[in-house]
Amino acid sequence: MKREEILLGNGAIALGILEAGCQVMTAYPGTPSSEILPEVVRFVKEQGLDTYVEWSTNEKVALDTAYAAAVAGKRATCCMKQVGLNVAADSLTSAAYIGMKGGLLIIACDDPGPHSSQTEQDTRFMARLAKVPVFDPSTPEEARAMAGTAMALSEEFQVPVVLRPAIRVCHARQNVTIQSIQNHDQKAIFEKNPMRWAATPRFRLILHTELNQKLKKIAQRFETLTQYNSHNLEPGRTYPLGIIAAGVPFAVIRDLLSEANRKDIPILKIGTPYPFPQALADEFMKVCKKVLVIEETDTLIEYLLGDRSKTMGRLSGHIPSEGELVPQVIYKLVNNVLKELTLPVLGQAENPEVDELVKNLKLPMRRPTLCPGCPHRASFFAIRKARPKAIFSSDIGCYTLGLNLGGVDTCLDMGASITMASGFYHAFAQDGVKQPIVATLGDSTFFHSGPAGLLNAVYNGSRFILVILDNLITAMTGMQPTPALGTRADGTQGKTISLERVVQGCGVDFLEVVDPYNLEEMNRVLKKAADYTEAPEGGVAVIIARHPCVIAYRAEAIPQKKKVTVTDDCVECKFCLERFECPALFHDQGLGRININREICADCGLCLQVCPKGAIVEVKAS
Amino acid sequence: MKTLNIVLCGLGGQGILFLSKVLSQAALDKGYSILGSETHGMAQRGGSVVSHIRVGETMSSLVRTGSADLLLALEENEGYRNLSFLAMGAGFFVNTDSNPFPRAEAKLFLDKNKIQYRSIPAGKLALELGAPLSSNLALLGHFSRYSTQLATQAELRATIERISPERLKKPNLKIFDAGFGYEG
Repeated sequence: MKREEILLGNGAIALGILEAGCQVMTAYPGTPSSEILPEVVRFVKEQGLDTYVEWSTNEKVALDTAYAAAVAGKRATCCMKQVGLNVAADSLTSAAYIGMKGGLLIIACDDPGPHSSQTEQDTRFMARLAKVPVFDPSTPEEARAMAGTAMALSEEFQVPVVLRPAIRVCHARQNVTIQSIQNHDQKAIFEKNPMRWAATPRFRLILHTELNQKLKKIAQRFETLTQYNSHNLEPGRTYPLGIIAAGVPFAVIRDLLSEANRKDIPILKIGTPYPFPQALADEFMKVCKKVLVIEETDTLIEYLLGDRSKTMGRLSGHIPSEGELVPQVIYKLVNNVLKELTLPVLGQAENPEVDELVKNLKLPMRRPTLCPGCPHRASFFAIRKARPKAIFSSDIGCYTLGLNLGGVDTCLDMGASITMASGFYHAFAQDGVKQPIVATLGDSTFFHSGPAGLLNAVYNGSRFILVILDNLITAMTGMQPTPALGTRADGTQGKTISLERVVQGCGVDFLEVVDPYNLEEMNRVLKKAADYTEAPEGGVAVIIARHPCVIAYRAEAIPQKKKVTVTDDCVECKFCLERFECPALFHDQGLGRININREICADCGLCLQVCPKGAIVEVKAS
Repeated sequence: MKTLNIVLCGLGGQGILFLSKVLSQAALDKGYSILGSETHGMAQRGGSVVSHIRVGETMSSLVRTGSADLLLALEENEGYRNLSFLAMGAGFFVNTDSNPFPRAEAKLFLDKNKIQYRSIPAGKLALELGAPLSSNLALLGHFSRYSTQLATQAELRATIERISPERLKKPNLKIFDAGFGYEG
């Protein structure tokens, strides 16, 4: 079989993983990595492969699981977003020393921008920290090819290898040729060797020495890996300026130079920045008077270049130290460098007139919002109403958008709603202050890293309300199943894990389950929970606010559609806009009242319970 | 062929990903190479969404400002927000029921840069046809009436028919045809 299909970059990566002979694949969803696993599942089914695929409960779990498979000689892959590798860092650094028998490919997707992440951190540095090789693809096709090379390298040297595609690789779309893929038939074998697999510090020193020797050999290999590391120098020629580029910025600068027909500026592409191909870089630097280094998102190559006397980049202030290097940014900065070196520029500068025009149009800011009909909106509305003076610690997921309703005060990392609530409690309790605290996090995030924080809070006597916003899905990253749902990555049904039992298992004595669509009931339970946090024998009160996601389960989420309209009783107080913040409600200046945007209204009818003047009413079918 | 650069913009949930799928598939069917970039995740939840499509031999998936041959906007303000992508002489297609369109300040810029602009009340049209979420296809239909740089109306129509899920084939084509038939 052979066909051409337009795939997301993550689809091309999925193909690469399977073509690399991956037998065990684990992942935790997170933008921009989330689509890799579903695409692996699709190709596994389509091609009848034996690959085992799982959504793990978090990135550390995912990496440990894949690692063990590789210890048993299988080829394994683990996928996550860049901050997920922070969660798995403990595994990564140790696995680098011990190594495996089979290949272990770790794919961590970066998010310069950031578009959908807490940080713009550069996974290449994480690889450097752990001392494992890293590949940095420029295009989906290259990411696919690198997956195979990286897996083979990992198996040959028995060291984990990181592939770092950035968001413009993951969420690019490209036409890709799909061919038949063969199963890799390595059987699981575990050879007992405690000195390696359970190495104590004394043996760790030996393993560290071995790792350093492996890296030396891999560095030599990278010097000659010409499909990923190459330049276009002409023999005997010298250049006033050369460019060292990597990852997505390489694709951009290559296009810009080719469009401007600039053969006078050579490029050295670095596809494997660590261990660094130093000799190749030296050869390039020797014939260039100045060298501009363009990489995302940090300064790994700049740091690794031995001689920085010629280099221009972030460290010299020629490249912005934050934000994505989109084509217009690179175009401008290269022009600036060319001007500084009195060389001809790439082309006419940007049109500043249009930026000024757009600014003067005073366009409305579009912030992301919870969807019309989202049950989280009801929860946040009720929480603010019941506990107006509380500190609202929240978490990573759709519900971070509770910000818009004034229902979110903090968002640090996965699970921090609970741990920060605990920290806030002790900070205020120390001063004798009874500070109300309401923590919110979603079902999937709870399974990811909730229990450790929750049992810590119970054990150490914290008092706060935790609302688990249970919409029965991992919504933000594209509707992945959770352990409570029991659906596995391949669609088969597994055992369901009861959220209630996990909460109770953490030692929580107050637990209520409520449907937030019933705002009155939600309010009553919140008050009861508040009383519990203040009672002498009280502690952490947990409320599971359970209602299906409107996107994943449209029919079940809104069983009774209610068409609403706004009457002349509306006094334009905008309470609904500020406190309920449904995107389907807007202030209609022409009508002099709030109005409903029919194109997006979900007919959930929640706003009927919101208007203080009762001006939002149901349209009765005539 | 010189690289054809297309930018699609609008709000999360307006169906930009499907629009980009139709255009990319139609180009692929004509034998062109496709490279594009999409918005997923947090940025998609009702916020501004931009999709890039580059047809031809390129390596980078993003269109540089000042170099888009076509800008399709599913919402008027989002269209203005992305004006900087437009190249001299480009085409600008917008879903809006504003009259007049475009705003005077924008008109000056568009005329000066010889940009061809067209508007269609695609949202209204889709709502009337009972499919409020399909303004994307009404806009595409209208676009196909005036621009054949990428594919003809018949080619786009065939692509929609082929890649739409079975139950949406008929309604999708109906809305696309209505957009094509709209005389602005």
